[in-house]
Amino acid sequence: MQYYRPSTLEQALALLAEDPDARCIAGGATLVAMMNADLVQPSALVSLKGISELQGIRATSDGLTIGAMTRHEVVSKEVRLTGRLEVVRMAAGNIGHPPIRSVGTIGGSISHADPAADYPTALVAAEAQIEIMSQNGRRLVPVHEFFISYYTTALEPGEMVTAIHLAAPPSGSVSAYCKVGRTEGDFATVSVAFSGAFVDGQCTAASVAIGGCGEAPIRSPEANALLIGAFVDSDCVAQAAEALVNACDPLDDVRGSADYRRLLVRRLLPRVFSQASQNAA
Amino acid sequence: MAERQSIELHINEETHVVSPDTGNTLLQVLRSTLSLTGTKRGCNQGVCGACTVLRNGVPARSCLTLAVECDDEEITTIEGLAPNGKASIVQQAFVKVGAPQCGFCMPGMVLVATALLREHSNPDQAEIREALSGNLCRCTGYVKIAEAIELAAEQLV
Repeated sequence: MQYYRPSTLEQALALLAEDPDARCIAGGATLVAMMNADLVQPSALVSLKGISELQGIRATSDGLTIGAMTRHEVVSKEVRLTGRLEVVRMAAGNIGHPPIRSVGTIGGSISHADPAADYPTALVAAEAQIEIMSQNGRRLVPVHEFFISYYTTALEPGEMVTAIHLAAPPSGSVSAYCKVGRTEGDFATVSVAFSGAFVDGQCTAASVAIGGCGEAPIRSPEANALLIGAFVDSDCVAQAAEALVNACDPLDDVRGSADYRRLLVRRLLPRVFSQASQNAA
Repeated sequence: MAERQSIELHINEETHVVSPDTGNTLLQVLRSTLSLTGTKRGCNQGVCGACTVLRNGVPARSCLTLAVECDDEEITTIEGLAPNGKASIVQQAFVKVGAPQCGFCMPGMVLVATALLREHSNPDQAEIREALSGNLCRCTGYVKIAEAIELAAEQLV
């Protein structure tokens, strides 16, 4: 296996264009684990650690851009992730443990596309845009179109994730992330992310996503529509939860049965609203 | 670029020239090439924390770290905490309170504790537990380990 450590994005993209079986290595938290288990055999590794333009979080004219190589720990402490973007900060703080958060990156995590991971669900609720580059140029993909299936994304050969774009949070917007796992630091059995806004108790915007309940983060336009315009009470939340349960397609696996996961969706939705109002306060 | 390339690894303030395969983890190189067997291989998938080392002072999984990625970093293994065979204050505290049972998780625990105490000279129980949260011990209930870190904090002041 070849190993390359380019110092610019152009060099990295040229290497990916040359060899479609090469893989980018960011923090290694997922790729090296997959290599250790013999689940992937890349022909070459393109290390991204020398590419400074992929690092860090910058304010843009319309929001925030998180570079693909930004570590979970950095995102978990980012004070500009407020309002409807706080869900992203909370998700980052829920990933694994401190030694995982200090090396794992947002670009690596979403490129791996485990539907039980924390970022995918939170980024879908926050309606992020994924910036993808290849030698042919740059494109932006809405995050819910980026996650296609288990460990499958919209990335084409020769492409890599370079950044995550988040629109600036309107004032009064709120968000939260709630997760149930078998133990602290585990992948989610079920996670629920909410991003939205309330004016005098009335919900004016709502975007809910569920993790761990299907091949990709689950969205339900029907659930969002039930919430928008409502004074969100327990009946309204219960109706939205049923719409989400209907949209879910959970599996029975080591983390829990499909029925248990449906139960968790119903239990976590009220919790995520109460967390969101705490976050707003 | 050759598949195997000679790189320098800076481990415990010594420089080693090694030629790992691209896919070799830092854990493999530490244990098999350099015979630094204090770093333990547990799950080999980043879950258990037995293989923890410090990369530039920060706890990291050596099983999820490729050796070729480390040539510009300072690596500290458990051997590096007792360079002249004299146990560090943190190690002595672990011994004193009887924190180890089988001992397999101890190198990772001690390194995490060492990094924590460099950042926070007087951590509270919540900070200690958060720091230890990525390291599994299957013998103890973590109580003595947390006590050892409190004792080390007192002695380091």
